[in-house]
Amino acid sequence: MNTLTPLAQDYLSRFDTAIGSLPGHQSSLVTTARQTARDIFARQDFPNKRVEEWRFTNLASLTKGIGDDIAEVPSASASIETPHVMTFVNGRFDAGKSSLDGLPDGIRLTSLAAELDAGNDSLINNSADHRAVVALNTAFMEDGYVLDVAANITLDQPLRVRFVSASGSVQNARHMRNIIRLGDGSSLTLLEEHTAEDGHSYFANPMTDITLEDGANFRHYKLQDENLVAYHLANTDCLLKDNATYENFSLAVGAKLSRNELTTTIVGAGATSILNGAYLMRGQQHSDTTTVTNHLVPENDSRQVYKGVLDDDSRGVFQGKIHIAENAQQVSGDQLSKALLLSDRATMACKPELQIYADDVKCSHGATSGELDEDALFYLQSRGIDAVTARKMLIEAFLADAMDEISDEAVKVYFSGIATAWLQKA
Amino acid sequence: MLEIKDLHATIGGKEILKGITLTINAGEIHAVMGPNGAGKSTLSYVLAGRSGYEVTSGSVTYKGEDLLALSPDERACKGIFLAFQYPVEIPGVASATFMKTAYNARQKYRGEQEVDAMEFLKLVRVKTKELGIKDEMLKRAVNVGFSGGEKKRNEVLQMALLEPDLMLLDETDSGLDIDALKIAADGINRLRSPERAGLIITHYQRLLDYIIPDFVHVLADGRIVKSGDKSLALELEEKGYAEMSAA
Repeated sequence: MNTLTPLAQDYLSRFDTAIGSLPGHQSSLVTTARQTARDIFARQDFPNKRVEEWRFTNLASLTKGIGDDIAEVPSASASIETPHVMTFVNGRFDAGKSSLDGLPDGIRLTSLAAELDAGNDSLINNSADHRAVVALNTAFMEDGYVLDVAANITLDQPLRVRFVSASGSVQNARHMRNIIRLGDGSSLTLLEEHTAEDGHSYFANPMTDITLEDGANFRHYKLQDENLVAYHLANTDCLLKDNATYENFSLAVGAKLSRNELTTTIVGAGATSILNGAYLMRGQQHSDTTTVTNHLVPENDSRQVYKGVLDDDSRGVFQGKIHIAENAQQVSGDQLSKALLLSDRATMACKPELQIYADDVKCSHGATSGELDEDALFYLQSRGIDAVTARKMLIEAFLADAMDEISDEAVKVYFSGIATAWLQKA
Repeated sequence: MLEIKDLHATIGGKEILKGITLTINAGEIHAVMGPNGAGKSTLSYVLAGRSGYEVTSGSVTYKGEDLLALSPDERACKGIFLAFQYPVEIPGVASATFMKTAYNARQKYRGEQEVDAMEFLKLVRVKTKELGIKDEMLKRAVNVGFSGGEKKRNEVLQMALLEPDLMLLDETDSGLDIDALKIAADGINRLRSPERAGLIITHYQRLLDYIIPDFVHVLADGRIVKSGDKSLALELEEKGYAEMSAA
């Protein structure tokens, strides 16, 4: 029998005690879900390099146990004003740092722990998920946000959810479970931020489960700005029904090792899945973007554009799978991954994967990685622009066509500001 | 203004410039003509400071200073402008942003007041009007999707805006129809003054009908083989490079 990794052993040894105090422990449904998930996790352990989906991301430094590395605490480089903010500190809802008053009727934004303790246990429905990282989340989920939007509700200003790692924390893992459901024809923007006010190492393991009913339009923006010794393994699943639109943009600048895994499943005609993102890495940082897009019915579209900027010894991974089922005719799926390597030690691994079982579909994928264009650099310099500024201009230009995909103007400005601040640290 | 002495330069170990000596004084326009491969573009790149070219011997003095010790952006800020034979496309950078950044870089270098977006727009609109360039071009990414003529006109616009002391024009006429050529030449002629100098690099005599040079030099195999006044250009056109180089 294989020996489990130290971190897995630690989790499993704590499970029986932990389950008694985790939210929803009064519910047999939640308890059963946790136990099922625990067993799935125990059979697999954390994924190692022999697991195909994890070939390029090695979790060894995490699974031997989180060390006592301390990072410099990043200072906020840009800001955004939104009327509604929900804050989680070290994985737990903090009402004092939240402002949720005045949400329009039909929009409920609540804490998962509160929902489960109140007996709303039907929220948990995917306990048999085979993915180890998701199973770990289900077994140990402690809190998260629940966003429930009735039919035909439109909110223009983004809702903001902040996950903050603050000092004085005794626990160094956070298993957040977020559940989002948008009713028929509703339209909403959510900005989700993962940041740190403390330099200790921790493991963030958010799992977000989204259902978009007919005609719903959800703009979901995520900032991953964890401290530089943190681990961040995130899963987002989105189910799209008829004419639903899901727009996700993920900006990653933080964490020692991060993986942003997005799985969209389209079960409706006229639905559109748009996944975009940018990751800016330096030092020894590792960023993994993994997307799985399932087209299960005819007549819908998906597209993705990911841009990476990799400096120093950093490493980027992009894995994008587009699956088109046998009967899913008249589907289009486009995917583009581009990486800019600013150092000759930075590396990029890329694995596009098309699984097409229908014959009347339009699919494309492109993957490039390269250096800054020397001709363009010289052109800018020859007009009096110094080399440092010229490089920044070209990197911003490289990111621009991904950033321009952000349809919420305030978030676009906010994310661009964070990218600019990242470049200024170079 | 510019003094080139016995300049030798290589690229990838291959010697392209094999001893060029040329003096350009303020107020003068010099034309360097020559066949393909003579080293014309290399000369312009070495003067503008492009990397990849190694100067193996000789010197270039600009306004009394060692030009070769300066970075390309310092050269530009000190008043050298290279109009590219093939202007580079830069997706994602708006022309207006690019030109404002360049303008302010020079202002800053010279300790002069930088301009804001509104002031810059006023400045640039005067120039676009003179050159018959549509303002819409300023919103587009630098040279992306521009026709050959538009790219060259954009070079002249940048030059008009940056008001250099030494203009280096590398095959500015190539890819231009006669109307575009007249507009470009007109833009360059407007910049002629007793304080400014220019070096026009060209394969054909055509451009020199519109920008009359004070001196013409024939460059062949990395050396200046003949110098004269504007009549030399006409002679070249008549006899061809082979005969002139052999002379």
